Amino acid sequence: MDRNEFVKRLFDRVSSREGEGSAVSLKGSEICYEEGSSFEVQVKDGEIIGYNVSDSMGLGFRMLTKAGRMGYASTQILDEAAVDQLVDGALENAALVESEDEQFIHKGDGKYPELKLFNPALEALTAARKIEMAKELERLTLAQDARIQQVEDCVIFSSSDLRALQNGSGLDVSMRVNLLGGYVAAVARDGEQVNAGAKMFFTMKPEEIDLEKVAKAAAREALDGLNAEQAPSGQYRVLLRSDVAATLLATFWGVFSADNAQRGLSRLAGREGEAIAAPCVTLMDDPHRAGSAASTPFDGEGVATVKKAVIEGGTLTTLLHNFKTAKKQGVKTTANASRPGYAAPVGVAPTNFYFKPADADLEGMTRALGNGLLITDLQGMHAGANPITGDFSLAAKGFMVRGGERAGAVAQITIAGNFYELLKDVEAVGGDLEFLAPGASCFGSPSLLVKKLSVAGK
Amino acid sequence: MILKSVAEQALNEALKTGGDFAELFCEDRRSGAVGLVDGRVESASTVRRHGAGIRVYSGLSSVYVHTNDTSLSGLVAAARKAADAVSGAANVGDIHLTQSIAANLHPIQAMPMDVAGARKAKLLRDMDLAARAVSPEISQVRANLIYWDSDVLIANSEGLYTGDRRVYTRMACMAVAEAGGESQSGSASPGAMMGFELFEGRVDAAAEAVKAAKQAVTMLHAEPCPAGVMPVVIDGGFGGVIFHEACGHSLEAQAVAFGNSEFAGKLGQRIASPIVTAIDDGTMPGEWGSLNIDDEGTPTTRLTLIKDGVLVNYMVDRLNGRRMNMPVTGSGRRQDYTFAPTSRMRNTFIAPGSDDEAEIIATCGDGLYAKSMGGGSVHPVTGEFNFAVAEGYLIKGGKIDRPVRGATLIGRGSDVLRKIDRVGGNMWMAQGMCGASSGSIPTNVGQPMIRVTDMTVGGR
Repeated sequence: MDRNEFVKRLFDRVSSREGEGSAVSLKGSEICYEEGSSFEVQVKDGEIIGYNVSDSMGLGFRMLTKAGRMGYASTQILDEAAVDQLVDGALENAALVESEDEQFIHKGDGKYPELKLFNPALEALTAARKIEMAKELERLTLAQDARIQQVEDCVIFSSSDLRALQNGSGLDVSMRVNLLGGYVAAVARDGEQVNAGAKMFFTMKPEEIDLEKVAKAAAREALDGLNAEQAPSGQYRVLLRSDVAATLLATFWGVFSADNAQRGLSRLAGREGEAIAAPCVTLMDDPHRAGSAASTPFDGEGVATVKKAVIEGGTLTTLLHNFKTAKKQGVKTTANASRPGYAAPVGVAPTNFYFKPADADLEGMTRALGNGLLITDLQGMHAGANPITGDFSLAAKGFMVRGGERAGAVAQITIAGNFYELLKDVEAVGGDLEFLAPGASCFGSPSLLVKKLSVAGK
Repeated sequence: MILKSVAEQALNEALKTGGDFAELFCEDRRSGAVGLVDGRVESASTVRRHGAGIRVYSGLSSVYVHTNDTSLSGLVAAARKAADAVSGAANVGDIHLTQSIAANLHPIQAMPMDVAGARKAKLLRDMDLAARAVSPEISQVRANLIYWDSDVLIANSEGLYTGDRRVYTRMACMAVAEAGGESQSGSASPGAMMGFELFEGRVDAAAEAVKAAKQAVTMLHAEPCPAGVMPVVIDGGFGGVIFHEACGHSLEAQAVAFGNSEFAGKLGQRIASPIVTAIDDGTMPGEWGSLNIDDEGTPTTRLTLIKDGVLVNYMVDRLNGRRMNMPVTGSGRRQDYTFAPTSRMRNTFIAPGSDDEAEIIATCGDGLYAKSMGGGSVHPVTGEFNFAVAEGYLIKGGKIDRPVRGATLIGRGSDVLRKIDRVGGNMWMAQGMCGASSGSIPTNVGQPMIRVTDMTVGGR
């Protein structure tokens, strides 16, 4: 049945069960509904080798019982049987919960920011046009240099999503977001030497797409890394390129979660107001940034979102909160309740989370480095980084830098350090802010000059 | 789940515009998760996912459309959408499906969704208590149970109409040890293609929690691993992640078919040390990476990948089999109905060798003993891999010396396979979730203890 009809029946069922004396509560009942469509085309040698199109929908139900426990259940079938499955499921799950943390259902805020996250022009883009773009991206990449003989992967994708939160306490909000993106991975060969380089882009403005620029960047990345050597092991002064610095932030953002801090899983518990980073470091959370799927007018609990600094001039100003963590700490929520999908329980997460840029471009930052190592690629974050302790030891690629200029390419090395120490060791922040692929959260950074990291090589 | 006549109509619709193969994959999946932290059950949720994917081939092009609407009209609409992306001569609809029932090698005794909540909560509390009892330094324990029951139906234009039911249960325990402002963590997360009988005889949840806690405490008192090039002894079980990353992904047809693998075109050639035999086996009863049939409806197989150092097989799915002109190996896998399948690993391991484990360490000189591994990743084109050591020890003069933390191993697959100079006799496996283009799927990795003559070890 239709979503509105289903939600009405669901809330009616809760209401009648409440009347019969069950532990269910209409005021405590909330749905999170998502529907979306996605498109993806993958080309190889001018032919379509992959083509994925989807329409999907799902409805998550959560209920705060009269005993103060929250239970979750979700479904992708909206029929009569699902109404009872959701109510019974949420009730059973709530009965398992032992935690006495206070839980909340929000009645809604009077005003929400008006964001332009949906562009009708993007919906009008035909599949044929997107296929042509993918073929053009591959063609342009191969044309960059004779040594680019192979494109490993070339994809254009788009998505269009709707999300709605509704509850029995009066909350009724929804949003739409759409995006177009692409990805190309070039393979450069020179004799026995082989190196891959990739570039990704995202936008909600199709007129701003510059495929030549994307192709050039991917080819450049592949070519520049040819003939790489291992660097000697030791301590280096290091420049982390913007995407690499953003990758580290994406790996360690959890240290800024109040939920983690309250459980002893972050060293930042109770350190608001303290200097935890170098004075040149300011860390922002901006839920209102255009062209990001992580932007939203309301958070996972329906609270109106706000832009804020988490680190300002090196000082920790706040951790990221939802209602539960804010209540525990006696502060206000920062509207960072996360709901990474209709089926997921409410947690805490940033939106668009990035180090605030200063001025210098990558060349300027390389000159500022003088002698040291420029890191342009990191691998193995899901294993070689410990988000609790902040320790990392990761496979890396990059360039030796001598006298402010790039010298030879470097590969087959690891860099090791600790995220908490790195925050304090930042000597300079660049102006070349770049964001990674937007998901439930989106991470960004300019390039960061860091006093020292350990390198393992030859 | 879906009537044969409905599937026939959808498949006929899918081929109307000239496609030469069509497949329907329907899935109804119920899953649940219960989590404990701070000594208390904190969250419990149940999820029902339901939908279908339709795939159409036209030569070497493939189109995939998925939807939640599995009614006749929903499936026909999805099939039409797929057909619209294919152009060619019109086909006459004459698909006739014949049902086949795959033998079930993985009978389930205790369906996880039916197990009482109280039993799940008790398992979690047992883990928490056991981990905290290891040391007063244990400051936090996270314990989770996850389980899912996936009912799939697969039909295709060659007349296949079959189904499978896959039930998985897994625990995960992470313990944090803290002292003097420093903290370290340890984890254990065994699982199987089983119901809750997993916890009767096969997995002792409390004992696993103790392992996690001991690892955290050991690492808390470990020094940072020195960086450099050295011989590395990698223990069995999850140590097999090295083969998974350094070689396994590069033997998947999805990488090989396009030459995106350093092992493309090397069948019959020596690619590893002659003491290395490696196997990918989808048929092992109850194992995490097993399946009765793959996600294209092909019965799974036991496949020797490397025999005495010589490359003998790739893992091949249907589409890449077409591209490579090779038969399928029951390796077509996907996370769920939202993904088109491709060639993936199942239970992948280095077969037991003949070396004595004590001798392997005693003759190592100075090096690293990687007792427990974290995860890793690889770039198949270049073969560059990396993986993390969760629990490591320095070896000094052939003796295990002191624990070290933060070690990372990097290298190139083709190099490291040739540098294996010892393979122990006792093989075991461990569970992981493997992520790639067709999503995140359960796979086992495994090996006996092995030794690599030299590797770059990252540390501080």
